[in-house]
Amino acid sequence: MRPKRILAAMLLVALFILPAASAGLGIIASSAAPGLTGDFRTDVVNLGKYLEGKGVNEVKFSVMAAGDPNSVLRMYGIVEGAAKINKIWEEEGINVRIKIDTIWEPDFKKQFDNFVAQYELGQNGDFFVNSYVYIATLVNDDRLLDITDWVKAYWDTVFSDFYKPLMEAAQYKGKYYAIPQDTEARPLYIRKDVAACMGWNLEGLDEKVKAGEFTWKDVYMKAKEAVDKRCSKWGLIHRKGSAHPDLIQFIFAFGGTLYNPQTGKLVVDREAVYKWLATEKAFADANLLPRDILEWDWATQIHPTIVGEKGTLFDIGGTWYWTEWQTKDYYQDPKTGEKRPLTPQEVQEKFYYTLFPAGEPGKDPVTLSQPFMWMIAANAGKDNPGYDDPEMRDAYQKLAFLIVVGASDPEINAIHSIISAHVPVRKAAAALLEDEQWIQKLRSLDLDLTEETKNAIREIVAKTADPINIKFLASVSYMLDYTKLAPSHPYYSKLAGVFKDAVDRVLKGQSSPEDAIKYIENKVKADPDLRGNVEFKGTIPKGWKLVEETKPAETKTEAQQTQAQETQQATEQAQETMEETATGQAEEEGGFPTALLAIVVIIVIAAAAYFLLRK
Amino acid sequence: MARRGRQALFFLLPMLILVVAFYILPLILTAWISFTPLTNWRVRDQLDDFVGLENYVNLYYLARYDPDFHKVLQTTLVFVTFTLFINVVGGLVLAILTYLIDERISLAYRLLWLLPRMTPLAVFGLLWYYFFYGGPQGTLNSFLLKLGVIDEPVRWGTDPAMLPYSAWAIIVFVNGLVGVSYGMIIFYSAFKNIPRELIIAARVDGARTWEVIRHILVPMVRWHIVFVTVWQLLSLITSYTHLFVLVQWSVVDKWYGTTLALYVFNTAFFDVKNQGFAAAAAVILVIIGSILGLVTLRIMRFSQMISPPRGDI
Amino acid sequence: MGEGIGEGGPLVRGTMGIVIILALLLASLPIIMTYSTLILTSFANTIVSSPWVKFRFTLENWRLFLEGKLAPTAGVVYTPEDILRFIVNTAIVAGGVTLVVLAASVTSAYAFSRMNFFMRSGMMRLLILLHAFPGVALIVGVYAIYVFLNSYIPRDYSVYYSFIFVIIARASLEIPMAIWILKGFFDRVPWELEWATIVDGGSRLTALRTAVLPLVKPGIAAVAIFAFLAGWEDLIYVLVFLPPHEKTLATYIESQLGSGTLETTYLPVVAAAGTLYLIPTIIFFVVTQRLLLETMSGGLKG
Repeated sequence: MRPKRILAAMLLVALFILPAASAGLGIIASSAAPGLTGDFRTDVVNLGKYLEGKGVNEVKFSVMAAGDPNSVLRMYGIVEGAAKINKIWEEEGINVRIKIDTIWEPDFKKQFDNFVAQYELGQNGDFFVNSYVYIATLVNDDRLLDITDWVKAYWDTVFSDFYKPLMEAAQYKGKYYAIPQDTEARPLYIRKDVAACMGWNLEGLDEKVKAGEFTWKDVYMKAKEAVDKRCSKWGLIHRKGSAHPDLIQFIFAFGGTLYNPQTGKLVVDREAVYKWLATEKAFADANLLPRDILEWDWATQIHPTIVGEKGTLFDIGGTWYWTEWQTKDYYQDPKTGEKRPLTPQEVQEKFYYTLFPAGEPGKDPVTLSQPFMWMIAANAGKDNPGYDDPEMRDAYQKLAFLIVVGASDPEINAIHSIISAHVPVRKAAAALLEDEQWIQKLRSLDLDLTEETKNAIREIVAKTADPINIKFLASVSYMLDYTKLAPSHPYYSKLAGVFKDAVDRVLKGQSSPEDAIKYIENKVKADPDLRGNVEFKGTIPKGWKLVEETKPAETKTEAQQTQAQETQQATEQAQETMEETATGQAEEEGGFPTALLAIVVIIVIAAAAYFLLRK
Repeated sequence: MARRGRQALFFLLPMLILVVAFYILPLILTAWISFTPLTNWRVRDQLDDFVGLENYVNLYYLARYDPDFHKVLQTTLVFVTFTLFINVVGGLVLAILTYLIDERISLAYRLLWLLPRMTPLAVFGLLWYYFFYGGPQGTLNSFLLKLGVIDEPVRWGTDPAMLPYSAWAIIVFVNGLVGVSYGMIIFYSAFKNIPRELIIAARVDGARTWEVIRHILVPMVRWHIVFVTVWQLLSLITSYTHLFVLVQWSVVDKWYGTTLALYVFNTAFFDVKNQGFAAAAAVILVIIGSILGLVTLRIMRFSQMISPPRGDI
Repeated sequence: MGEGIGEGGPLVRGTMGIVIILALLLASLPIIMTYSTLILTSFANTIVSSPWVKFRFTLENWRLFLEGKLAPTAGVVYTPEDILRFIVNTAIVAGGVTLVVLAASVTSAYAFSRMNFFMRSGMMRLLILLHAFPGVALIVGVYAIYVFLNSYIPRDYSVYYSFIFVIIARASLEIPMAIWILKGFFDRVPWELEWATIVDGGSRLTALRTAVLPLVKPGIAAVAIFAFLAGWEDLIYVLVFLPPHEKTLATYIESQLGSGTLETTYLPVVAAAGTLYLIPTIIFFVVTQRLLLETMSGGLKG
């Protein structure tokens, strides 16, 4: 019996050792995944052969995307990218296929929450399609894949065609973590009928704005004229609430900054912020801008005023307004009295659009974009066999990158722009928007897309591929050359929230612009997240006004100018002293609640102790 | 003794397991987290990083330097006091009134008053937004304009001229509508548990409605009153969700509509998920809440009520 | 006034009854007004915030919502979502929470009411003080437990795991409340009833089931409605623990009115969603009230 036992024991040992040994050998023997060359087809074939050699026949990925329903290509773009690769593999006889799971969420902020909460569980999407503002946070948390080397490999063939500011937005600390997916611009809309009423010829205005000849000072004058001549009720309407990016444009238009690349900190540029607040105040004081605009209702006040008869001359909005007005019942038809959407022709007849003008002479016009990005999760490929082997993981992640390259195809980008009213991210896509033949093909969906995607967008294409709208998008693409981006910093949105509160105070007359800046400083100082991440810059330009109302356009004598300079220096000094006092004041102000809090806590503890110890 | 203990344990076990696993354990974890820099759910990476008292120091800074903090404190005090009053007394009144009237009408009223509690949070914000909306199309404005009470639309919760009282009135009113149903349902069910013969007998003896309320109904629900008071007190100190939507929809002024709990939530969660900081604030809130809760239990003579269990073999 | 207060009839009749009904009506006006806004808007092409708003009657919102087309944008086109699935998910969570809460709290409340054991009074106090801990802070700890347990769950079962977890975790938050309420009801039930059962040879569990439970139905009704509501309307637990594509009605509606979507949301369709959301809770309320409250009469004889 003994030999049998020994044999059994040996078998048992072998059972345990063999797999381990073979696994070990396997790791030693496993070859590195092929590198990326920059040629899509070659790379796809190499990777496919590599995976096939490893015995992999199906690769699973999932995509988490967000946005309004018309932005479905954020999700199907990935499906298309995978389909391109599958097709190449099929043609080459490689027996591997990619399968994509899709997860959609209308609110991009919520999708971000989903992504971070699911990441620890390994149930996050391998692809994450969301605003660039999250790149910094996600990179700091090690949630995104560094794709710098691969982007460089594909630079000449693909990424050199992208608008430069957008590619910069895809970087964090000098490395690429994302690829731009779509973007928008925020034009200044001007009502043509109101302009006509006041006898203002708009022709060539966009060029003047581009050259910095038409500034916010002129916007103010024109707005005042329109209201004075009773051509419109308001001079200016802008967005509200969390929609502050539009207003942040003022900071850039007055030559300010929001971010210091040297220190990596956010910046409160006192001069630019002051001028912005003073501009808002000037408009509100002259009754050109509603004091409670930040509380206006989107559906019943803001949009109806913008499109309504004699509503407003100027409006700061996004490119998506163009189709928003064609979607919902904002316009009250004067003939029937019924509320209805505008037609594309009507929108075109009613609205002129330009860049966001420079704040004052000598500054530049701007627009602000918040591009969406394709991002690849740091754990991409997690649902596939052999993921724990670093070489295999590398292969899956390269494949994920290639899917994004496929999704960045000009056609997909152009279709997305048209159906979701966004601006293309690359020039080849912008060119397609002006290609009549291609647009014809799009209408009949005679394009190289999967059936899944075609079904998803068929209805949307039928409704949105209107020549007027496409022309509008093509004609605002130039704005991307002027575009500014709010910093991709984990705490930026929080700082922007403080700015919004400051604007509200100024508009309602609760604070002067000076006080509002003090308010911003105190808020930043108090907030645990902002305190160490924001720096202050510059001083308040004392006495600066958007327009000198008493003496219009009078040229100053040299003596006056010197005097003015002296006064300015004096005010600057005074400013510095004031700042010191202000800090002291702030501390005193803080004394009140702290004392109160302390007293309350002491009373409560004493009372509790009394009651509890009485027995 | 041992048998008795085992028997009690048998009855308590399901509750004990759940409460320990999903209440006490997370609670200890939260206290632990308050000493870590945890952000964005990164429990794997950050649960063993320690920053000492940093989160508590940050809380102190916030209280000391934020220009709006004293508004938040005042609002908390006003909000908790008045809403608690409405929730308990209003709930009791509603329960009594609906108990007295015809059951079918009563059911309709109870349902009506339960609606605010049933409404999804986002829709709740939407409803009160249009009710108090500052333009002429706001529900309240449109009625008052038609009746000639006001000449032009009023921005109820945000007009600087009427702050802070208008904003406080709105948050107390709107939260009262949600909270009052809680007491109502509990008290009503407790009334229903009183044998009807008791009341009928009293009626036959010539007791007036008021006397029935005072001598039968209210004494019978004393335990429930204690419970509702303490429970709602703790709720009001720690909950923020309904206030959050009111502030987010600009129904009320941002700072005169913000209580401590909401303030903490906004600072720690709204833009940046600073969970270590939130945990520190929660620890402070729980200390305040526990003390207030214990004091209230003491004032309401809780220990007299809880004494001897009947039927202990 | 003492007339006619037999079984079932109202306790107050005549003028007094009418006065009470009218007073309640007056107090209910704001609620009636706001909910009329909601329901009317769900049948209109615009927000009917006052009786003087001009609107067009339409069933379009309901059709769109039931087809899962909640959010329109450019060109009035929609991407449908599976509403039925969201409704089922919501029902699973709400029903699950109700069952778990009732199962765990009935026995415990009975023990607190009837037995003496170590730390009894202390535990009662502790249970209510647990509520002082804000759920939003607690959830990080619950999440850590979820992540820890998740590594033992095979991937194929993770959806079931997340549903069970969300139900139990959410139910746990309601248990202290349920125990307190139910104890108040148990305390009112005379001990002699159970004693009779126990003397006849039944166990305490049998005594609880046959003799006591029928008498605390109103308490169970109260607990059930709150537990059901807690599960039905829960946002944050569902959001964090259910996989992103498994939505409930509450999270679905919330996602349409979040800060990132508010600007372009078409509110009349959301009003339809909000109205539909209310219906099951109303039914649940009416049924529990009818079943558990109406039969109550007498109680102890002798």
